[in-house]
Amino acid sequence: MSLEQFKNRSVGTQTYKMVDYEPTPDTGMGRFQRVVSRTFRGELFVGLYVTMREMINALFGGGMHTTKYPFEKLPISPRYRAIHDMLRLLESGHYRCIGCGLCEKICISDCIKMDTRYDENQRKEVTEYTINFGRCIFCGYCAEVCPELAIVHGQRYETASEQRASFSIFDDMLTPKDALGQQQEFDGFGAVSPNADDNIKKTPLAY
Amino acid sequence: MTARNNKTKTITVTIDGKRCEAQFGQTILDIARANSIYIPTMCYLTKVEPIASCRMCVVAVEGVEGMILSCQEKATDGAVITTTNDEIHEQRENIMKLYDVNHPLECGVCDKSGECDLQNKTMEFGINQQDFTARDQHRPVQDWGFISYDPALCIMCEKCVHVCNEIVGDNVLAISVGGYNSTIINTKQGQECSNCGECMSVCPVGALVSTDFKYSANAWELEKIPASCSHCSAACQMSYEVKPESIANHDTKIYRVTNNYEFSSLCGAGRFGYDFGNRGVEKDIEKFEETLNAFRKSETISFSANITNEEALIFQKFRERSGVKLICSEARAYQKFMNALATTTGHSLYSGDLKKLSHSKGIIVLGSRVNDDAPMVKYHITMASKRKRAKITYMHPIEDPSISNIITQFMKYEVGSEEGVVALLAKTLLDGRELPVKISKYLSDLDVGNLSAESNIGEEELEQLAKGLLKKSDFTLVVGADLYEHPKAENIARLLGVIETHSDFELIVVPPATNALGVSLICELDDEALGYTIGYNTKGDYILSSMGGGDMDMPALNQQEGSFTSIDKRLVPTHVALPYGGYVLNDIMNSLGLKKKYTISYTKQLPIAKGYSQIEFDSLPDYFDIDGSEHRGYLLENEKVPKRVELADISDLPTYDGVVIYRCDTGSQFSPFTNMTEQLNREASLRGSSQFATVAKLDDGDRVIFEIDGTEYQRVFKIDTSMKGTVAINPTYDMGLSSTSVSYYRFSKSKLEKMDS
Repeated sequence: MSLEQFKNRSVGTQTYKMVDYEPTPDTGMGRFQRVVSRTFRGELFVGLYVTMREMINALFGGGMHTTKYPFEKLPISPRYRAIHDMLRLLESGHYRCIGCGLCEKICISDCIKMDTRYDENQRKEVTEYTINFGRCIFCGYCAEVCPELAIVHGQRYETASEQRASFSIFDDMLTPKDALGQQQEFDGFGAVSPNADDNIKKTPLAY
Repeated sequence: MTARNNKTKTITVTIDGKRCEAQFGQTILDIARANSIYIPTMCYLTKVEPIASCRMCVVAVEGVEGMILSCQEKATDGAVITTTNDEIHEQRENIMKLYDVNHPLECGVCDKSGECDLQNKTMEFGINQQDFTARDQHRPVQDWGFISYDPALCIMCEKCVHVCNEIVGDNVLAISVGGYNSTIINTKQGQECSNCGECMSVCPVGALVSTDFKYSANAWELEKIPASCSHCSAACQMSYEVKPESIANHDTKIYRVTNNYEFSSLCGAGRFGYDFGNRGVEKDIEKFEETLNAFRKSETISFSANITNEEALIFQKFRERSGVKLICSEARAYQKFMNALATTTGHSLYSGDLKKLSHSKGIIVLGSRVNDDAPMVKYHITMASKRKRAKITYMHPIEDPSISNIITQFMKYEVGSEEGVVALLAKTLLDGRELPVKISKYLSDLDVGNLSAESNIGEEELEQLAKGLLKKSDFTLVVGADLYEHPKAENIARLLGVIETHSDFELIVVPPATNALGVSLICELDDEALGYTIGYNTKGDYILSSMGGGDMDMPALNQQEGSFTSIDKRLVPTHVALPYGGYVLNDIMNSLGLKKKYTISYTKQLPIAKGYSQIEFDSLPDYFDIDGSEHRGYLLENEKVPKRVELADISDLPTYDGVVIYRCDTGSQFSPFTNMTEQLNREASLRGSSQFATVAKLDDGDRVIFEIDGTEYQRVFKIDTSMKGTVAINPTYDMGLSSTSVSYYRFSKSKLEKMDS
């Protein structure tokens, strides 16, 4: 669509349809007659019929359009940036975070902090991980930079709580272990591109 | 001994079209770096000889076929050099591709990530795929105590091996050659390694990392606080790296210590002994009042020499104001020694420094177990040994096997005979020189036979020493703490002054504690304490302590800003790494009438007459130049003092028979401050040879009790098979406040009593 028609601001050439205005009655009786004739016109019952039909359809015909928030929620786009989720590896159930600290580094409001240590299995263990949601601006850089898709933006957009801490503890953000089956792969910024497999180059193995 | 003959010729070379002036003998890479021209390297480390293992630094020289290794090729006058062209770039790219073959993709967890040479160069050359291949192999991580080694990450640049051999002199690391299977091996795991961590600091990748630090923080999260090491008088350049302790605890914590490893070094105490801060102190006004009262009624202030120049000056000003006596047992003997030395040299300071030491070709070490007393001195002696093939004579009553690989001659003298030894040394070194009549008469009057017999220094040994120094230039004589508290210390100092003045030797008088030199220059010290005594990090009636446990808390040296006077006669600044919540000395003195806003306001007031400059603390520089020259603080002026040569006749030398104990903190320990730290803390034991055990009638593991100079020691006796002779070593680092108040000749006769276990 070109912009031409938007640029045409000449309203004079449009065709207008005039509403059929009755003359305004100026006597008391005239006004009374107008009220009665308007009130008892058949359109009123047309309106009532439409409402009744929709009500019956909603109640008994399954045509209800109301979402019973907070009992029901509408699905949101995978690109929506709500409270973070920390994902687990599907095979082992271990959290994906390797403690590389890139999210901590890239965070422009400096709200991510992590504690790491050298664990018994010679791995880097994330002992504590926290996001200060009082400062987080939900920019999504952390999810984008994460090399393991460990920190992603989830779907929890209700950020009201008695305590801010309810959101910011590692365990709260982690997928519960028993809910591993329901863990959704992240599709937002930083996710693997749909043609990622095509872009992989194999390391030569000459031996 | 020939006179100095270092003719330096200036040459001009053109690098990438830029005309660069340089000295003859400089390598192409040195010249390029000094002129800010970039040549990529992977294995080059400025402080060691060129390693030439990476071949990244190749350059093209006009008229010369092939590529030249710029790191080891000395530039010739008029050379036209190109640092990069297509061919060179391709070669460098290929080198980087080879380095990246099978390098584990664990940058996400690697400690080195963010400050990794391999990461940087891989990015620089845009290596994003692996074209070469080699069968990978299992190479498990090795735990070397303070350090862990991950051979899978190692790129075999060999920097670690070179610092270990060329600078530290431990010769612990070696290369196991085997093509792709090559690794670094620790030849003497755990035993003779001094745990200095130098290898770790120079590792360009994450192969050598601190076991304690491993995976605890990312490099970029740490804030670098520039500082000077507060453990010994070398006051080495270093940075404390700090970060909040954890998410739950926001207190600042020191995670590790790093340094400018291209140009300077650290020993194990500096690198691993950093967490000695006095934590959790709050301002307590009642205690503060109590402290003020203590100061008001004090007649003596006794302090350890582990303080800053500013604090020393505060004490001196307080002395001038209120007439208290100042006692610093560590620095007093040194001060007297230096004063006596100045009477024969005519200068307030000694002439040598560490840099000159590392360039010396003849070195004599006298009166110091140098490997333990001053590791930095030992490092510089090692450099001289490895690079200049220096003749190194170690004179001490106890043989030290840990330096046997660098010394060329060990001369063992009898305990207590230092005066005679110095006299014999003076006679040997000044032989054939034109001397003032007085001195030459003094030397010819010496009863050489007697001195030689009593000190057990043979005339042949001295001849060998003199022969070794023939036809060489650049000499340094290092003397240490054994001499300062010797009963005849002053005459020894005067004799040393004669040697310094009339021979080619530079002299280094190693300060016995961190700021012993500073304290000795700034404070007028007294010999005897009198009346009510305030002890600052030492014993007293009212104790100010930065170790905790005193009557009043004080900040430790990593919680203060200020300056130290180092062995190089340099004033070096240090900064606050850990916050401190309590009162500092300046607060106390402000309430007592000395008005200064900050402790560092005193930096500008340090005595000019002693060689200090009037420079504000905040304008003190603290960096190394691109060519490695040191710009830390400023060098003290060597002031002229009246000269008056008066040498005392040497009467009979004292003899020490039976059980002799040597006071020495060994193994990266210097003071209670090093022992407070988590990684260095260990139990002190009395160590002696099996010969000593026989003489003292002791067995390995016996608990003994003995008294030296009024302090009682309870120690477990351990037989050290590497030791020889009949002198045992007794450390004092675990004695807390009383370890900083020891002042007696380091060798002492003592009666050992066995304790029933």
